[in-house]
Amino acid sequence: MLFNGDKPMLGKEFADGETITWAGESGDCLYVILEGRAEVLVDDGSDAPFRSSILEKDSFFGEMFMFSEGPRVATVRALGPVRVMSIDKHGFLQWLAEDPSFSMRIMAKMAERIRTLSAEVVRLRTVLRTRVPHENA
Amino acid sequence: MKLKNHDHIAIIGGGPAGSLTACFLLEMAQKMNISLHVDIFEPRDFTATGPPGCNMCGGVVSELLMQKMAAEGISLPKSVLLDGIDSYVLHTDADAVFIRPARAEMRIASIFRGAGPLGAESQRPLPWTSFDQHFLEMAMNRGAQHIPRRVHRLARTADLKLQVFLRPERGETAGCETPSDPYDLLVGCVGLNGSGIKLFDDLAFGYRPPPSDRAWIVELYMGDEEVHRRLGNAMHIFLLNIPRLKFAAMIPKGHYATFIILGRDVDEELANQVFHAPQVRQLFPDGWHNPVRPCHCQPRISIGSPQRPFADRVVLVGDCAASRLYKDGIGAAYRMAKVCALTALTRGITAQDFKQGYWPACQSLERDNRLGHMLFAVDRLLRHFPPFGQALLMVIRDEQNRPQDPHRLGSAIWDTFTGSASYKNIFVRAAHPVVVVRLLRAVSKAIFTRIRTGRQVQKQGYPHVI
Repeated sequence: MLFNGDKPMLGKEFADGETITWAGESGDCLYVILEGRAEVLVDDGSDAPFRSSILEKDSFFGEMFMFSEGPRVATVRALGPVRVMSIDKHGFLQWLAEDPSFSMRIMAKMAERIRTLSAEVVRLRTVLRTRVPHENA
Repeated sequence: MKLKNHDHIAIIGGGPAGSLTACFLLEMAQKMNISLHVDIFEPRDFTATGPPGCNMCGGVVSELLMQKMAAEGISLPKSVLLDGIDSYVLHTDADAVFIRPARAEMRIASIFRGAGPLGAESQRPLPWTSFDQHFLEMAMNRGAQHIPRRVHRLARTADLKLQVFLRPERGETAGCETPSDPYDLLVGCVGLNGSGIKLFDDLAFGYRPPPSDRAWIVELYMGDEEVHRRLGNAMHIFLLNIPRLKFAAMIPKGHYATFIILGRDVDEELANQVFHAPQVRQLFPDGWHNPVRPCHCQPRISIGSPQRPFADRVVLVGDCAASRLYKDGIGAAYRMAKVCALTALTRGITAQDFKQGYWPACQSLERDNRLGHMLFAVDRLLRHFPPFGQALLMVIRDEQNRPQDPHRLGSAIWDTFTGSASYKNIFVRAAHPVVVVRLLRAVSKAIFTRIRTGRQVQKQGYPHVI
């Protein structure tokens, strides 16, 4: 056991450096970090994938698969020992039907991520404009 | 008539239903820029061991609730979690089968509602904390005020608000009740045990509590090592052909094993029959004798629907209103507390508002419970037919040998006891044509085997009894 001596703990444990989800695999659940930290790695075609963010306790990932189909776009790897709990898509959609307010926290987080991505797009466009000025002419 | 800025709310009862109602009301109100004053009246001290600090319950937090809480950012501290449960062992008269979900993950927790069983005080400082105390503190951290006093009487004011009268404490003059300031909303989370439920008779709005039955719960000290050697990380379910028994369960809980018996009119005689069943005895250490005075209770559990658990400015939440049959009572309290808070803040607090916003959720639980009653009735009937028990285990084992199989029967049984799905969902899976065909085939195989074994015994002759 990684966390609490020999006391069995909730969720599933991952050791430092262990991959929790792989980019490209099909997803059927959302993960919540109960304890520890994880890094989100995105393959940009270079030699090594770049770290797009670090997820802390109570963060979740894989939320896009709750609302849409398609392979996972990022790899999530444990940064130190991590304990996560998975939430199946079927159960999630059932709860959503019973209690729409259930999705509030997830939607708020998704909105925050869209805001961060939009800011990143603006920043990259600015960088691009300064490097390739003729494109904007 | 909706809740508005600076309204006062009284919640009678600080168990999970009361604390969660307070949490949801305060959290949702904050998002709507409304400031509420919430008082929780709870005389019980959840930091006390034994009956004074316990709300009498098996102490299992379902898979569904654990996932919902994780998704909503409500985490339980390690000290509240006694054990993680990752599998079930189903014991029938015929044999036993191990049921484990495909995802190897602990998503069920065992907890103590109070500070632990009677006698645990000798282990102070206790290595665990109370589940109910954790939720009460969570409500207080969000702004609720805990009033550790027993409510003696409820009354309406001239403008139809609610007043709470506290039972005089030692040193106070008996009969000299001081009424509280008027409350805009009164939420009853008084459960089915204790006298709290009678308080609502004073208001005479036609409320009648749900019909109930008694469960039998006993905490057995076996020591951490022995509990895990005997039970593992599994909850053990006993579906035995014992008259009046619905089912029994044994749950690992740190140094203790909690034994629960559910059935019709559970009494000492039925409890003794269950304890002496060989399927149960094998889980106890050799030469085990039940303690002379273990921490034991016989709480009332809801088995039906209440009548009118709401009125103008009054609503009841938790076991005294609507719960799930034989499982996930805390999960049901979580769901109903949320619906209650949402109704009060977005729709209103009149009887009509609760009838339109809150009552349908109670009725939906009740409709699902009716299917649960049906499933347990079928199970009881089939327990008189031993080949069915064998067939049930055969089909579950057969599913486990097929990695690509959706494990319909195994998952239906898992969900029946974990509270992970509605009875409707379980019913649909258990009645799936593939499951029915497999069961019928397994029943005929079991009958054939029994006949053949019987003939062999007849040929060989029965052993002599001297």
